[in-house]
Amino acid sequence: MAERVAAQPELYSISSEHPALNGRRCVACGYVFFPPQSYGCESCGALPDQIEPAQLAGSGVLNSFATVHLHQGKGIEAPFTVGVIVLDDGPAVRSVLTARTDEGLRNGDRMHSVLTTCGTNEEGNEVVELRFTKTEATR
Amino acid sequence: MKKTLREMRPVYVVGIGLHRYQRMSETSYVTLGLTAVREALKDANLEWRSVDSAYTGTALIGMAASRPMLRHLGATGIPMAQVENASASGSTAFRQACLDVASGVADVSLAVGVDKPGPVSSGPAKSNIRDLVGARAVPFTHFALLTNQYMNRYGVRIEDVAAVAVKNNRNGANNPYAQRQKAVTLDEVLAGPQISGALTRLQCCPVGEGAAAVIVASADAIDELGINRSRAVRVIASVTQTERVYRGAANFDAELTRATVAQAYKEAAITPADLDVVEVHDAFTIEELLYAEMLGLCKEGEGAAMVTSGATDIGGRCALSASGGLLAMGHPIGPTGAGQIAEITRQLRGEAGARQQPNARTGLAHMVGVGAVCVVHVLQNDN
Repeated sequence: MAERVAAQPELYSISSEHPALNGRRCVACGYVFFPPQSYGCESCGALPDQIEPAQLAGSGVLNSFATVHLHQGKGIEAPFTVGVIVLDDGPAVRSVLTARTDEGLRNGDRMHSVLTTCGTNEEGNEVVELRFTKTEATR
Repeated sequence: MKKTLREMRPVYVVGIGLHRYQRMSETSYVTLGLTAVREALKDANLEWRSVDSAYTGTALIGMAASRPMLRHLGATGIPMAQVENASASGSTAFRQACLDVASGVADVSLAVGVDKPGPVSSGPAKSNIRDLVGARAVPFTHFALLTNQYMNRYGVRIEDVAAVAVKNNRNGANNPYAQRQKAVTLDEVLAGPQISGALTRLQCCPVGEGAAAVIVASADAIDELGINRSRAVRVIASVTQTERVYRGAANFDAELTRATVAQAYKEAAITPADLDVVEVHDAFTIEELLYAEMLGLCKEGEGAAMVTSGATDIGGRCALSASGGLLAMGHPIGPTGAGQIAEITRQLRGEAGARQQPNARTGLAHMVGVGAVCVVHVLQNDN
């Protein structure tokens, strides 16, 4: 049976429709960062054994955004929109947004993570990737 | 104890030469480089055999680029090495040449930047650290995001940001070494094509090929080799730093520039008010505004207003990107930082012709590079 798989499983899990990001925390100095790496702490130089997983909630504030009009990369279809989101848990991340263009986006908008289908792999599984979308006011 | 450049032997730029920056052609990098070096030797009135060491700033040519180029000047057996530091390769090659002369291991040293477009072998890509956007966010999108952030933070319009391209192309139109030598109007800059975010093609630098050479010498060498002392320009600071950890959505290139420039001002014992000519890493219009602010030429958020006021035009308070900058002169990578030194030197000699900033005495060259690195040099005509 076809399953859903994450395009980048090292960066997020797809067990939730609003995935958290797989960040890391340095036990020695408290520095929290994304994307994850286990080479050593960029802030204090602590060894890899001092770096532990830290789930970063997929919610934050849109700092800036840009619609890419031209792109020469293989399999990358413009236009699409990239945003910088300052996560509620601290780090700023760059993500593709669900909206293809920047219409209706404003700096300071609340954003949250969602899963978007981006294709099918060789085993016939649906490949999904994490994107950010504008959080509409609930009332 | 550590020493600054100024606390060692004085270092002077005595020769500059370039091969025009241009779109990629069939011309070999050897021809590009030799053209620049021979022009620099002629400018200094020096023979190649007087050069004691050579550094080639290049990011794209590949392994062992120096001797296959420089041997055609006569194989004198001098130490040579390639310097790769991303966009700051030429600046870093220049720094190494300065340090050779300052330390006394060389009396005369050459820095030559040369590159041709080609496949990039990228260290960051080989670090195996992936982010969410990957290849979808190329440099122009990084700077489109910063443009959006800046416009929002300071209430600046894209017309004000794009004015940088109008100024720099006007300057480039008077620079025979520039890749873009045509003045453009604001409407032409804004007309597109749109690349990413608010950035249009003319707000992004052309990346082509070219070469730039700078020869530095000690005071002893100037006397002994009969170099014209009145055309020599002293290097009074050479400073380089790398990125630290910044919080939230801080712009690392700007923060790194702020710190590197502060050290350079201290070592050179100058303030921003002393600067007559400045060349920065204006690969995108937004960058010139950010770096001008980090340099203290104006307050943060006032860069666009400063540019549109004419204060950074040639003839203004401080000429910014008189060469045309990366936006018009071009950014062939390896040559770019060395080409900035050539422009500052020409300005401080009073030999810049139609681009001459009146009474230019002190100049600063700034480059950043992927990594991130920042290199700053301060030059002064102390004649």
